[in-house]
Amino acid sequence: MDLLEPTRQAFALLLRGDPELLQIIWLSIWLSVTAILLISPPSIAFGVLLARRRFPGQRALVVLVQALLSFPTVVVGLVLYLLLSRRGPFGSLELLFTPTAIVIGYMVIAFPVLVTFTVSAVQGADPRVFETARSLGASGKRAALTTLSEVRFGIIAAVVTAFGRVISEVGCAIMIGGNIDGLTRNMPTAIALETSKGDFAQGIALGMVLMALALGINVAMAFLQGEGGLK
Amino acid sequence: MSRALLEAEGVVRRLGGRRVLDGIGLGVERGQGYVLSGDNGSGKTTLLRILAGLEAADAGVLRLEGEQTPLPRYPDDWRLRVVYVHQHPYLFHTSVAANIAYGLKVRGVAREQWLQKVEEAIDWAGLREVVAVPPQKLSGGEKQRVALARAKVLSPQLLLLDEPTANLDADGRRRTLELLPRLFADGVSVLIACHDREVIELSGVRRFHLEDGKLVPLA
Repeated sequence: MDLLEPTRQAFALLLRGDPELLQIIWLSIWLSVTAILLISPPSIAFGVLLARRRFPGQRALVVLVQALLSFPTVVVGLVLYLLLSRRGPFGSLELLFTPTAIVIGYMVIAFPVLVTFTVSAVQGADPRVFETARSLGASGKRAALTTLSEVRFGIIAAVVTAFGRVISEVGCAIMIGGNIDGLTRNMPTAIALETSKGDFAQGIALGMVLMALALGINVAMAFLQGEGGLK
Repeated sequence: MSRALLEAEGVVRRLGGRRVLDGIGLGVERGQGYVLSGDNGSGKTTLLRILAGLEAADAGVLRLEGEQTPLPRYPDDWRLRVVYVHQHPYLFHTSVAANIAYGLKVRGVAREQWLQKVEEAIDWAGLREVVAVPPQKLSGGEKQRVALARAKVLSPQLLLLDEPTANLDADGRRRTLELLPRLFADGVSVLIACHDREVIELSGVRRFHLEDGKLVPLA
């Protein structure tokens, strides 16, 4: 198979700013950013709670959330499909095959990533952080926020990883988004569709955008981490 | 009127079936410096952490300015009045000034005031030349002085220092030793867990001695 010609066409599509391509890229970023912005605060708060509080079943809960990390996203899509379909318990909301459904799916997928990374970051924090803050008069809540600030690089990593997971996710987005042109078609679902049709140019172009995004995000993260990042 | 700032009675702490602290009773007067001496493992740090409200005791009563506190519960404002400094102080990943300002901000001190207090504390601890250095790059002695400034700036009723001169190089130790008498001179009540001979022999300092979790009279 000749890869040069579709690759040349892919560059041409990107360089001339193909409107369809741009729309797909914009929708992907918009859906992913919205989902991450909505789910990050409660997930991080839950992660801090799991890391700091001792209660019956806490360990089991951590293991359960960690197990969700390896849950196939297509199964998440299937469960959400059943919940949101017309006969499902939330069918009356008419969310299936809408961008909102994809955002919900992305939030479900991002949740275990954010919680697990937060638990790991907070548990890995120097125990003196919390104690120092408390000893200087901080309330438990403020000391927890100070701890969170001290492990901010781990939290940034959690958010970036969650974003990377949802923006490249295809199974759930197809199941509950329907891959509808102009409404729910995002980069991964478009790549899958165009490739199955034998139109590699758009697939390659979107693939390059996804890889550029991944690289850009990781460079930005390394920059943000500064001296607190990897040595 | 009694000059007692803090009184402890019957403080007990058990760990793994062993009594780390076995019925400790002591009194700390206002504006007085104390050293809590004892071998490693005698319970010095545990006692300081209980007095600081950072570790729960199994039994005992504390009285701060006469207000009775049955352990292990502490009143909400306990840590606003009693400040503890770790043997190896943790400095937040901010700046030297932000570290010193932390407790002042927690207390809701107005910006103009805390800015001024932080500047004074930087000079007090001789930190002017390292004020722009990231805290994690400071030497052990400099970190200790930032921690002392961070605690002293809060004007606590009682300051608890855990081995402030341990594991410091000669210069760091000397400069920390210079700060301790200035704390006493400023009227801060200080209790220092320590077995550094020079700290124990500081002028005007009274001494408690711990052995196997009990306070014992000095020979």
